[in-house]
Amino acid sequence: MSGTIAVPLAPTTALDPVTFEVLKNAFATSVDLMSEQILRTCYSFVIYSRDFSSALCDAAGNTVMQGSGDIAVHVGTLHFQCKAVLEEFGTDINPGDVFAINDPYRGGTHFNDVSFIRPIFSGGEVIAFAQNKGHWADIGGNVPGSFDVNAKEHFGEGLRITPVRIWSRGVFLHDVAQLLVSNTRAPRQAMGDLHAQSEATAVCEREILRLVDRYSKATVLHAMQETQDYVERTVRRRLEGLPHGVWETTDYMDNDPGKEEGLVPIKIKLTIDANGIHYDLAGSAPVVATFLNSGYGTTFSAIYAGTKTFFPDVPLNSGFYAAVTADIGPEGTVVNAGWPNAVTGFCSGPYEKLMNGIFEIWSKIMPERAMACAFNLEYLLVGGKDGRTEDSPYFMWYDWMAGGWGGRASKDGSGATAPVFGAGLAVQPVEGQERLSPVLTSMHQIGMDSGGPGRFRGGVGIEKGGMLTDAQNAVMSYCCDRARSITWGIEGGLPSIPHGVWLNKGTESERFLGSNFSSVPVQSGDSFVRPSAGGGGYGDPLERTYLEVLDDVIDGYVSVGRAAKDYGVVITAIDPDLDAYEVDEAASVELRHDIAAHRLGWLAEDPATVSARYISGDIDMLDVIRRYGVILDWGTGELFATTTREHRALMERRSSAHWPVVPA
Amino acid sequence: MSQVRVAVDVGGTFTDVCIFDEESHKIRVTKVPSTPHDPLVAVMNGVARANIDLEDVTLFSHGTTVATNALITRNFPPAAMVTTRGFRDVIEIRDGTKDDLWDAYKDVSGPYIRRRDRFEVTERIDYAGNTVMPLDEADARRVAQLLRKRNVNTVAVCFMNSYANPQNEIRMREILEEELPNATVSTSAEILPEIFEHDRFNTTVANAVLAPLVSGYVNRLSDQLKAGGYKGDLLVLHSGGGSMTPRMVERYPVRLAASGIAAGAIAAKHVAQQCGYENAVGLDMGGTSTDIALVSGGELRITKEWQVEYGHPIIFPSIDVLTIGAGGGSLAYIDIAGSLRNGPQSAGADPGPACYDTGGDQPTNSDANVVLNRLGTSLAGGAKNLNKALATEAIKKVIADPLNMPIAEAAHAVIQVANANMADAVRLVSIRRGHDPRDFALVAFGGAGALHGAEVACELNIPTVIIPPNPGVASALGCLLVDIRHDLSSMFTGIAADADTEALEGMYVSLESEAMARLRQERVADENALLQRQISMRYLGQWRSLSVSIGSGLGALAEAVETFHEQHEREFAFSQKDQPVEVYQLHLTAIGKTPKPSFKPAVELNADPGTPREIRPVYFGELGWVDTPVFDRDDMPAGAMFSGPAVIDQFDSTTVIPPNTTAVIDEWMNILIHLEEI
Repeated sequence: MSGTIAVPLAPTTALDPVTFEVLKNAFATSVDLMSEQILRTCYSFVIYSRDFSSALCDAAGNTVMQGSGDIAVHVGTLHFQCKAVLEEFGTDINPGDVFAINDPYRGGTHFNDVSFIRPIFSGGEVIAFAQNKGHWADIGGNVPGSFDVNAKEHFGEGLRITPVRIWSRGVFLHDVAQLLVSNTRAPRQAMGDLHAQSEATAVCEREILRLVDRYSKATVLHAMQETQDYVERTVRRRLEGLPHGVWETTDYMDNDPGKEEGLVPIKIKLTIDANGIHYDLAGSAPVVATFLNSGYGTTFSAIYAGTKTFFPDVPLNSGFYAAVTADIGPEGTVVNAGWPNAVTGFCSGPYEKLMNGIFEIWSKIMPERAMACAFNLEYLLVGGKDGRTEDSPYFMWYDWMAGGWGGRASKDGSGATAPVFGAGLAVQPVEGQERLSPVLTSMHQIGMDSGGPGRFRGGVGIEKGGMLTDAQNAVMSYCCDRARSITWGIEGGLPSIPHGVWLNKGTESERFLGSNFSSVPVQSGDSFVRPSAGGGGYGDPLERTYLEVLDDVIDGYVSVGRAAKDYGVVITAIDPDLDAYEVDEAASVELRHDIAAHRLGWLAEDPATVSARYISGDIDMLDVIRRYGVILDWGTGELFATTTREHRALMERRSSAHWPVVPA
Repeated sequence: MSQVRVAVDVGGTFTDVCIFDEESHKIRVTKVPSTPHDPLVAVMNGVARANIDLEDVTLFSHGTTVATNALITRNFPPAAMVTTRGFRDVIEIRDGTKDDLWDAYKDVSGPYIRRRDRFEVTERIDYAGNTVMPLDEADARRVAQLLRKRNVNTVAVCFMNSYANPQNEIRMREILEEELPNATVSTSAEILPEIFEHDRFNTTVANAVLAPLVSGYVNRLSDQLKAGGYKGDLLVLHSGGGSMTPRMVERYPVRLAASGIAAGAIAAKHVAQQCGYENAVGLDMGGTSTDIALVSGGELRITKEWQVEYGHPIIFPSIDVLTIGAGGGSLAYIDIAGSLRNGPQSAGADPGPACYDTGGDQPTNSDANVVLNRLGTSLAGGAKNLNKALATEAIKKVIADPLNMPIAEAAHAVIQVANANMADAVRLVSIRRGHDPRDFALVAFGGAGALHGAEVACELNIPTVIIPPNPGVASALGCLLVDIRHDLSSMFTGIAADADTEALEGMYVSLESEAMARLRQERVADENALLQRQISMRYLGQWRSLSVSIGSGLGALAEAVETFHEQHEREFAFSQKDQPVEVYQLHLTAIGKTPKPSFKPAVELNADPGTPREIRPVYFGELGWVDTPVFDRDDMPAGAMFSGPAVIDQFDSTTVIPPNTTAVIDEWMNILIHLEEI
């Protein structure tokens, strides 16, 4: 009875529109029901915060429907995982089986993301697969949370699960399951998630079988194919209204610690022609000596998710993947790392750069939907022993922040928003974190001046700080980027602010730890703080209206000082108690003219001089970045000469080239 | 005069009055234009229009959109938030998520209190309720004085971990009351003593911004009713499908955030059950919006995860209703890209649709219905006359000319877009929850529901549409059908097997005494009080909890744990009996039973629908203009059977029965429309 894979018959007639609509929606429902169940039964707080996805795949493993609330980063990886199970088990797939896989070298994302895949049988053959993928809080490896920034190969990162059977013909293989969860730091929770995710796939199975009962197997198989064709057709229709051509851009990661300082390029070339949308990533950097590399699954995911942002209402399935193709080049690069290069940090590395680079390209094609760069996905992990109770259990304070998205063609960027990596990824309530870990949060607030200046300002970023109250053997790790390749503006807009963690800021033991580090020892009493960047600005900040700048000052999004420096608007306080401020229009006209006349010169100023002035306290970090386009070690003030040269070239292309020429 | 029960429901456009006569068991209704500048004027106008002697009224209940509208329009009195230093942006950061995950141009709306009106003080409580930093009195006083200088009259006090120890919040309240004696102060631990700062803060902030407006309104109404001779308590419907008296509204105005919406859902459930349907979709289309509720297995869905707008949670149990911006007054327009759009912007009551002749010149759904002759030119029994020439002019100028379409076709396109929007919303609540709409009946009501209901059902392949006897005042009817209800909660975290059952029992007893105090304050006799305990539990390590009933006494917890395993198995198809179960929250529902009206069915049935008042051409899409009989509903007997097309006019609504349908009036005077060929 097992082993046959149903192949949809070539449809002789199209489904009637009502049946097609009902089934298309029913597929979506069957997938969303899976998501609803996993949200209500999960153990991992990362899953609870919506880092999961669900899909219905057809008998060949192609995705028919993804969950409407799925995290962007899983988009376009679920069919790879399903196909990996098919390749591994072939005809040895039986009713009542459930398979697990997390293998990033088989199209997965990273080891924490564990997929459970259940075949759906009808009439003795596989007609579909139900899949749920969720981020486990820990999957073993060197560091709590399994994010080892220093990893170069995967062996120390965590448990790699190639396709494996967990239920066989309805019988739970407890020995196999136990092997998996025993390789994590929280075996009981992992076992809970294993059951919860597997049961969620059964919900989808029930729904699909109900549809088969009601509409017949042939109709359901037909509709699964139709649903994919419909999406491909929709994308191709949309393309008819778009120009054909070739567009290119480069975005950068901060550096490769295995090399000298200097930015790490990720190159994107987009071609739109009669065949559809095609990307080429040739020229992207070789793998870096950290875990900020991307496997092929996540690179495709970034390409699909980035493109989908400009087709927001088109459903996601393999029909989309047929219309959007990519050549990601041979293995050995940051965008196609290959075994055994470490790839867990892809999400903060190439993924974000690909998405934002794709945003930049599509901003040229659909200028009315343009958007500057968004803040970078970031994870701060503090793990150790919790000294608040006698048994000192292991704790994991695993935190990510919202931040700012880029300024847009007609309005400011969206502030304090979840990362583009997953706009549904919820930040955790501080009160929940404080119950679970000995970390007292000192602030969780909007960062003043964090939005990149522009005619339309980048959305504001966040500042979050905390103090370790009662911990032993604790270490801190950080997975981020863009301390040097700073979140950029477009069409004349300016960059926002760098990412990076400060330890004991404002004390004698102050240290800037940067945007990527692993296992820094920390003790009770230590405090830490880090910002998330705002979005980059859109358009020339000197064209922002006085009133908009004034409103930003009243709300504390922009300081009086930076209103003058970034926007050339002179504001004086009359009575701040009553929000009474005044724009000095005459002084502002003069200041704007002065900035316009000098700003190209500032961007050419000798970087070494700028570094010295920063160290002396004569200018601050935002002056260095926004005015002089220079990149330093923000802790020591040391100049990164190569990085600065590369960064200034970018600023010229994205910012200064769009400014009107004004004689001094 | 005989004794009556009166319900008044205020909508965006009309204020509806529903009177149940306790002797004849009959309902009569009336309708007056809403008065958005002060909704109370319309309530008293309605009472006067209906010739109600307030001395004869045994029960006066009221549903109001005052709170909902204030939240949507952000039309608040000067309000401020005082919070722990470092946390003033909690309600702006929210959980960071977007409603629309993929459209980078669709943003979540801003917080209820702007950043400039949020202030910080030095204080800190930790997770266990220990004081890390006491409230800095000088700092607190500085902020209080600043608020006085700013003329703030309502303040939300939201401190971190106050659910574990409310002392600093209480002290802050005292200082505020000293410095701003006339201001209302809402503290988060009192409004919602639950963990998670954003949920608690936002619920408290919503309470604060609504406080002066809503409680002032309810108190004034209560005083006027009293002055007119009403001896009972005004009952105000709240989001949870129960009601409260003004004393409780003063403390918990945020519970009224969905008052009007809940009333419609309750009415839809009642009407569907009367017609024998356990599964129904309620489509309540009013002047500015449409509310969609789902009745499944005879029950309305209740949710705690509720919000008027995405990202701004109000954590009280509420009837789960989806509201979309599609109403009779929704504006039709051509967008920048040249496509025809409909809503969510509305002409509201002022300036109103073009046909109202009150200054509006932009076309609305009502205007399109007038142009198509679906809607006659006299509304609310002649209280409102519609100007067809102005409606035609608006459709011509804004829609027909730019699209180069004949006027009737343009008006029909406007209606089609509105219907498609509503059908999508129904799909969202039904199909997406695993229901096939074909298994449901559609109960269409609200001022405009009966105009659109049959065509929306057709889009959805729903076979039966029910139009209740007074569709325009169904929400008011819902107000007559509810009890007083309070929902209380308390945190109680710990492993069930190790829990101190005496402490647990003690906490329930104290919740119960608080609940009884509230009910007694609302003058509920003890024999009419009903208390229901529930407990939220989860497997240790899980994030969401399940709520199950729990009895009283020391053995109750062990029984509840068994119930939890069973319910987990039933809802999620698995349970883990060998795993530790964690208690999370205690809940108490306190119900004060109020007497319900008893309706009587018609005894005689007559299949003859009677003589139409007139025959007029009505536009039906591909069929074009069709001569259509227009009936007066008041003249139609129970049992009447007839075919579409037909238009049925009545005081509070107009029903359109399209071609290719049959209709029957049942013994409860509901119109049932059966759609063919679907």
